[in-house]
Amino acid sequence: MFSLPATIVKAAEHATEAAAHGAHGAEELTGMAAKFEELNHVLGHLTPHVKFHIGPIPVTSTIVNTWIVMVVLTAIVFFITRKVEYKPRSAGQKILEMYIEFIGGLLETVMGKKGRKFIPFVGTVFLFILALNLSWFIPGMIPPTTDFNTTFGLSIATILAVNFIGIREKGLKHYLQHYLEPNPIMAPLTFMEQFTHAFSLGIRLFGNMFGEKMVVTVLTILAPLIFPLPVQLLGIIMGIIQAFVFTLLTITYISEFVLGH
Amino acid sequence: MSSLFAVGFTLAFVAMFSAIGQAFASGKALESMARQPEIAGDIRTTLILALAMMEALTLFTFVMAILMWTKI
Repeated sequence: MFSLPATIVKAAEHATEAAAHGAHGAEELTGMAAKFEELNHVLGHLTPHVKFHIGPIPVTSTIVNTWIVMVVLTAIVFFITRKVEYKPRSAGQKILEMYIEFIGGLLETVMGKKGRKFIPFVGTVFLFILALNLSWFIPGMIPPTTDFNTTFGLSIATILAVNFIGIREKGLKHYLQHYLEPNPIMAPLTFMEQFTHAFSLGIRLFGNMFGEKMVVTVLTILAPLIFPLPVQLLGIIMGIIQAFVFTLLTITYISEFVLGH
Repeated sequence: MSSLFAVGFTLAFVAMFSAIGQAFASGKALESMARQPEIAGDIRTTLILALAMMEALTLFTFVMAILMWTKI
């Protein structure tokens, strides 16, 4: 599943062989070719692949990893919330309350007091995407957000939820009026905007995580020892920021409907 | 081969101009944060949102580049 250590060993063997034979032009060229073959090999393992079949349906590693993350998150939150106290004493409850207050603060800065009722939805989105992004650092896990099926699923579901929130908050009449808002001529554009939102949300998450993973993979193959480390540190920050950006944009899209006229 | 050049050039070009745009935004945001530290949090949130918007265009091009690359 995760053959990077073996690849590092092989690349090191290549390097030592090249050093033993002296750097001739032709050998260097074959060394480069071998490295690119390694790259292809590693990419084959790092991109989502089919794990097993349920009947005719292939189940990819993306789905397996997503379910692992979901089960772990649900289990952690389930065991923390078994014993909820008015004055929190356990560390878990304190951390969860801090997290909920953080999301509530974000919502309040955009929508005011009435934004707080979206805490469950927005908070789940943030926590889920954060866990998916940071699952990269568990050895053997391919982060599901580097598969565009995951990100587009998330973004389409989010935009659908935002539209349903709009209908629920404003009523169907006002919701449809929102599309005619600046000028009825603009209606096709404002309608298309919803698709653009979904597309850009998905592409942003996928592109950032996929690009980061590719950079680290290439660096690991070319210079395996220390060079990938700073980029991987950047990957931690990137994972957090991308989850945050997804959440922030979701909040903005909700506020478009909730605060609209 | 020329299409490979196009892929590399596309990404380099877009990354360059996206970096310039983000630099303008970040510089102004840092200035205003230094001038009014009490609303630094709000400015930071808005800055991240704006940077994400600029980043999106780069990533559209990234996807275009992948499409071009796989067509070769």
